[in-house]
Amino acid sequence: MALDRDFAGALADVVGAGHVHQAPGDLAVYARDATPLFHQVPDAVVFPATTEQVARVLRLATAHRVPVVPRGAGSNLCAATVPVRGGIVLALTRMTQILEISTDELLARVQPGVTTARLADAATARNLLYAPDPGSRTTATVGGNIATCAGGLRGLKYGVTRNYVLGLEAVLPTGEVVRTGGRLWKDVAGYDLTRLLTGSEGTLAVITEATVALLPAPAESNTGVAYFESLTEASRAVGAIISAGIVPATLEFLDRKCVAVVEEYAGLGLRLDAGALLLFGEDGPLATVAANMLRMRQICAETGALEVTVAEDIVRSEALLAARRCSLPALSRLGSLTVLEDVTVPRPRMPEMVGRIDEIADRFDLQIATFGHAGDGNLHPTCVLDPDDEDAVGRVHKAFAEVFRAAIRLDGTITGEHGVGSAKLPFLADRLGATQLGLLRRIKTAFDPAGILNPGKLGS
Amino acid sequence: MIFSKTLLDRCISCGYCLPACPTYAMTGDEASSPRGRISLMRALETGHLEDDDPTLAEQASFCLGCRACEPVCPAGVEYGNLLEEWRDHQWSGRRSPLPARLLMALVSRSWLVRAQGLVRRHARTVTSASGPSLMLGCVERGLFPRVSHAARKLAPGLSVPKRQGCCGALHAHNGDSGTGERMAKSLGDALPGTIVTTSGGCAAHLAAHVGRPRVRELSEYLVEHDHLPSGRLLVDGRVARVALQDSCHLRNGLGISRQPRELIRAVAEYVELPSAGACCGAAGTYSILRPRESGEILSVKIDEIEAAEVDFVVAVNPGCLRQLKTGLRKRGSRVRAVHLAELLVIVPR
Repeated sequence: MALDRDFAGALADVVGAGHVHQAPGDLAVYARDATPLFHQVPDAVVFPATTEQVARVLRLATAHRVPVVPRGAGSNLCAATVPVRGGIVLALTRMTQILEISTDELLARVQPGVTTARLADAATARNLLYAPDPGSRTTATVGGNIATCAGGLRGLKYGVTRNYVLGLEAVLPTGEVVRTGGRLWKDVAGYDLTRLLTGSEGTLAVITEATVALLPAPAESNTGVAYFESLTEASRAVGAIISAGIVPATLEFLDRKCVAVVEEYAGLGLRLDAGALLLFGEDGPLATVAANMLRMRQICAETGALEVTVAEDIVRSEALLAARRCSLPALSRLGSLTVLEDVTVPRPRMPEMVGRIDEIADRFDLQIATFGHAGDGNLHPTCVLDPDDEDAVGRVHKAFAEVFRAAIRLDGTITGEHGVGSAKLPFLADRLGATQLGLLRRIKTAFDPAGILNPGKLGS
Repeated sequence: MIFSKTLLDRCISCGYCLPACPTYAMTGDEASSPRGRISLMRALETGHLEDDDPTLAEQASFCLGCRACEPVCPAGVEYGNLLEEWRDHQWSGRRSPLPARLLMALVSRSWLVRAQGLVRRHARTVTSASGPSLMLGCVERGLFPRVSHAARKLAPGLSVPKRQGCCGALHAHNGDSGTGERMAKSLGDALPGTIVTTSGGCAAHLAAHVGRPRVRELSEYLVEHDHLPSGRLLVDGRVARVALQDSCHLRNGLGISRQPRELIRAVAEYVELPSAGACCGAAGTYSILRPRESGEILSVKIDEIEAAEVDFVVAVNPGCLRQLKTGLRKRGSRVRAVHLAELLVIVPR
């Protein structure tokens, strides 16, 4: 459906004609994000350059009752940026300035289109750390990370994106600009709208600027690798490490299939014969890192590791982490359709959850590889299959529905870090219950009475 | 079927390629990213977009073909091959850009390519039955004949057969991969044994069609055969500062980036440019077909070279060398652009 000509003309007046795309080819590329099996062509893609332009676009969209889907780099895995009801995709990739980095306030102020890696590098250059570390950091934008409350490899020790958002500038669908929170670490005036907008997946407001907390950069960091017979044994080591009072910076595991594909891509010389690999790492003062790395090494050996090695230098350590960050796309080497999911369970129940996933995979005759953040119980069971095998595609949906139910039964959740989007919306009621879902809908209406912001997602 | 099915299926749209893509960096528009272009190819394949769709036409030519997206792709998508198939379809027959068509017509006539030797004296031809042979290149022997002289001096064992034409990379990158493949194979027949080339683009294209084991790019050959120069290159009595511009196809296609650096380090103070691995905008015929974008990319590169305060910037591909020379001349820079072979022969031994 093409946009009304007056409306398209008004959009062009706001952002410039070259920044409103309506040609079929230009629209086709915005029909999907990184979520397989979700696809819908928008009616226009609009590229604003300022908050003021975002506000004017939203006012127009509300007046014309046209859906608006804000989008960063489109790397999310829950179809949060697929325009399921058509309308406008609001691409924020022109708003890419790092506005400020303050070393004495320990914060940065950025536009939403800055990539997470660019922010992290800018912080590092000032001897600071931007802690959120999602796998897609080189591609993903800070705005997108905040909208989905992205997690990543440092979750156990450092938490997820919401722990670092101090304040937001955001535009409501009515065109009003709000500034929530600010530059302060202590500020309890009013409802915490900053936290509410973080993880709201573009359904309440469009984030146009973020103030994020930084930490002093750790003096030292290191990463090691331990190989185990199976994921169950690796999980036992995880439990023992945490019981020993260590909160490591990294505690990631990969199963045999994941190790094989990561090795094929990164060529790190990983051992391919073990059932599971545990990546353990620590950062902080030199003495702490040395002591904790040694202790983790010992614990892995005591819990039956087949082999334990520690990276000899920072380059090798970074290479290990980089390889781990790409395990999802690397898995697609096994089959051209890759459906990756994201469940979290309490850490002690992780072996049980891994067992349930294996059992479900067998029952539905599917290949499911699993990797994840062992430290925080966040698992990514990933199914690889042939997209032309319709029967298998049907089985995947059923199998993952069971995986989500299993996670909830183990006191877990249907998503730990990817978000709900369109993909998980059918399962949200199972997790939240009817009362909470109703409250979500009332909040949505308070922000967006016309229902134009990212319809078909949270609050719908 | 326009595309080999398995090639398109490989991409899972994760978007890890976006930050590596120079055209995405210019626009921030998904359509000008590798992932976006693959979406366009899929739409073409399934008939959702027409052959004459303007976005398809624009993006097929906007892409540099630098393949920077390939090494960063964890899924192993062979974007370079997809682009060749896409351009074969997009630019079939008369729809291919006129300047590219003219150039292709020139270099596909091997007598014409050889006749360049009458005007620009490249390395003297020396025949041997089994090689390894030095490939003279179609563009390079005309533009930079001194490169083959230098290569012969650095690796005296190379034979230089007389009857050799163009490898066909130009065709493959401009919508005629059939001819490109035929030309590569016939060059493979004309040059027995190992083929040593001083052009990164030719190396990658040849390797794809005559087999990787038969192809050696000069820096790779020199390092493998321990032909490391021993002297020091001096400028005004101090060791020269030298930067490198990678050849995209050499780096991203064949994974060769260490060897040219190693050779430079052996003779000079090596200075890494921040974007040494990113395309300089020459990209085969790109600088002719899209001068504005090519110039924009080059301008950043020249800024970097100036800021690095080097004496020389080294290229390992004739297209890049011409591009850098043009950029430096326009800027009135005192930095000299040379081919790696030329740099190594001026070192006193």
